[in-house]
Amino acid sequence: MSRVPDRINIDKKDRELYNKLDHEEMLRHKDKGGRRTRKEQFLIAMAIGFRNKIRRPLESKEGWFLIKDLKLEDEALIDSIAVYSTHSVDVLSNREEVFKIVEEYAHAGIRLLVDKIFSISHGSFEKQFENELNNMYSEMRLS
Amino acid sequence: MRIERIALKNYRQFKNTEVLFNKKLESDLHIFIGKNGTGKTNILNAINWCLYRDEPHLSKDSHQLPILNLKCIEDAKDGEDKEVIVEIHTKTGENKYIMFKRRAVYRVYKGEEQPIHQYTKFEVIANDEKGNTEIFEDEEANSYVERFVPKAIREFFFFDGERLDTYFRETTAQNIRHAIFVISQVELLDSRVEKRLNKILRELRKEAGKISPEIEETRKRLEEEEDKLKIIKERIEGYKKQIAISKTIIGECNRKLRGVPDVSDLEDERLRLKTRKKHTKKLLDEKVKVKQNLLFEYGINIIMWPAIEMSIEKISEKRKNKEIPPTINKSLLDSILKNKVCSICGTPLDNKTEKNVTNLLKEIKLSSSVAQQLLSIENPLYLLKEKIKQFEEKIKGLTHEIINYENELEDLEKKMGKIDKSLSGYNSEKIKGLHSDLKKFQDVHDDSLELLGRSKNKKNEIKENIKIHKKIYDEEIKKEEKARILRKEIDFCGKSLNVVEKTKEDIMNENREIIEAETKKLFFKLIWKKETFQDININDNYDINLIHSMGYDCLGSIGAAERELLALSFTLALHTISGFDSPILIDTPVARVSDEHRVNLGNVFSEVSNIKQMILLFTPAEYSEDISKLLDIKSSNRFLCKLLPDENETKLEVI
Repeated sequence: MSRVPDRINIDKKDRELYNKLDHEEMLRHKDKGGRRTRKEQFLIAMAIGFRNKIRRPLESKEGWFLIKDLKLEDEALIDSIAVYSTHSVDVLSNREEVFKIVEEYAHAGIRLLVDKIFSISHGSFEKQFENELNNMYSEMRLS
Repeated sequence: MRIERIALKNYRQFKNTEVLFNKKLESDLHIFIGKNGTGKTNILNAINWCLYRDEPHLSKDSHQLPILNLKCIEDAKDGEDKEVIVEIHTKTGENKYIMFKRRAVYRVYKGEEQPIHQYTKFEVIANDEKGNTEIFEDEEANSYVERFVPKAIREFFFFDGERLDTYFRETTAQNIRHAIFVISQVELLDSRVEKRLNKILRELRKEAGKISPEIEETRKRLEEEEDKLKIIKERIEGYKKQIAISKTIIGECNRKLRGVPDVSDLEDERLRLKTRKKHTKKLLDEKVKVKQNLLFEYGINIIMWPAIEMSIEKISEKRKNKEIPPTINKSLLDSILKNKVCSICGTPLDNKTEKNVTNLLKEIKLSSSVAQQLLSIENPLYLLKEKIKQFEEKIKGLTHEIINYENELEDLEKKMGKIDKSLSGYNSEKIKGLHSDLKKFQDVHDDSLELLGRSKNKKNEIKENIKIHKKIYDEEIKKEEKARILRKEIDFCGKSLNVVEKTKEDIMNENREIIEAETKKLFFKLIWKKETFQDININDNYDINLIHSMGYDCLGSIGAAERELLALSFTLALHTISGFDSPILIDTPVARVSDEHRVNLGNVFSEVSNIKQMILLFTPAEYSEDISKLLDIKSSNRFLCKLLPDENETKLEVI
């Protein structure tokens, strides 16, 4: 039986990138006057990695937040990514694998997210993000 | 009477200067031109010093300097006496030459900052046409001055041009009343005759009071009422003065505030807009934060939608295949097969049973842990799907609210910008001060008006009381035979007082009417806008009204040049009524008049100089090209005041 992890990890090198999210008001950590938790910053990085379909294995791990902080909704998202990536629900029985998948997406996503923030002028990230969401939303088949 | 010559010796900047006022033309106009500080105004001061021993137009700088010329002090030996002399040589209409001479001697000590005054001597030397010379000193000399230009009315003959500008802007009625009072010389009646008669009357009454206690009692009551009348009269004068002052200040404030925005109101409005802007900005920031949270939260879900969708599909499929919820525990079957014993009943497995369990295990595709996990995320996944469905509506609502707040902010910014634009270029503090003064003096004016009305009623009431007490007093005094002579004297004094009062009033009224007519005559003769004005009148309250051709009083709204002309006409009218045909000397006569109107006033001066001697002191800036072109040919003499390089002495150059 696989070991059940108690925390979600990031690559040690990504800490600096997470700190850079503080440049964008929407993503700024609550310790820096913002509203985001480490978990929320991780989830958005994960989502960006998923959107771009890039997974990067972690070279060295650093515990980022505890699994117990995940709400059911968060867990549903994490599990969905694992199912989507493996095309099988069986992966859900291996929690270590599930978390490894999302950690790898977040590892790729954080770099993409930081690049995006710094490649566009200040204040435009939010607008661009909103436009992308609107486009995605219009293409969604919601029944 | 005209001034023929002025000689100045060691008087301020003038070490040894003689000015001849020869009348070469029909007009008797004499012009001095000098920059500020060259001593131009000290010519005006020299005349005053010579005639009245004071220098009312002295500048702040000159105040600190000795009257004795600085160069003269420098050249003096220690302890040496030096003299300041100003002589005014005049000629009367009867070809009599009168010279006014004031001489002051100062001792100069090298260690002292100021020379020490020793003595001053004033004398008048009069020569008649036969060549007889008479020298007068002291009182006699002063009486000659009073016949030339009396000290009390000198302000209407030798004055600063500023006076012309402000005369009808400041406490007009008070000024006019004062001018007519002074010019009419009724002060004599007022201060000497009336006061003396009053004193005598009271003494007589007191004397009569000694005869009987009833007379004394009624006297006291009568005089108490008379004292009250005196007090109320003084109060009335005070209120009138307050009204006049406040009226002037209100007019002045209104004039200065014409076309100027109400800064206080605008600043209040700006503050209100600023507060509203702050509130709107706060609401906007809150909405922006809500939107950011919405984008963040929904953003993750929308991005993850393919994964959510796939998971929902898979769970749905499992449900369809009845794989969830799990009916058989896959781990339990694994354990039974491994131990070859039924974990439920403990019976060992035979071949058939083992085959059945193996087949059953193959049929179970989903482990119970996976099924449990799927069950636990099923509901949250559907909730996420429902949530995502609300994204469009929520984001549109928020965006709409944000746009509204942004528009409101833009609108507020525009309004504030407009206010800033209105206020730019104005001295807010000064304008606020003017508005505050305006309000304050409007209150003073209204209060004083009310108090004046009440006091007038009170005055009438007291007058009635006096009548009653006087009647009682008369009846009381009639009863006493011993008081017969005193009664006659008291009666006489009372009647005399009435005559004096009536005479004073008559003179004032008569002179007011003459001055009104004379001012009107001169103003309409000299005014360049012949069709603009219709009439001038000075009413019983001594308010002067300049009636526009449209019928309204326009004194408060006329330009500086017209106002100066009116003041000049009034001054000349005063000259006429005063009976003193003395010269007029005006320092900086057009300083407050704009260029285009200077020529108009120049023409006026030129015309006035046809009827009397006129001495005008200009700065070079005032004596502009236009004025120069006009007055150069009209003036008998033009002098240029030039300060020598050591700045202690002024020379007069004849131009």
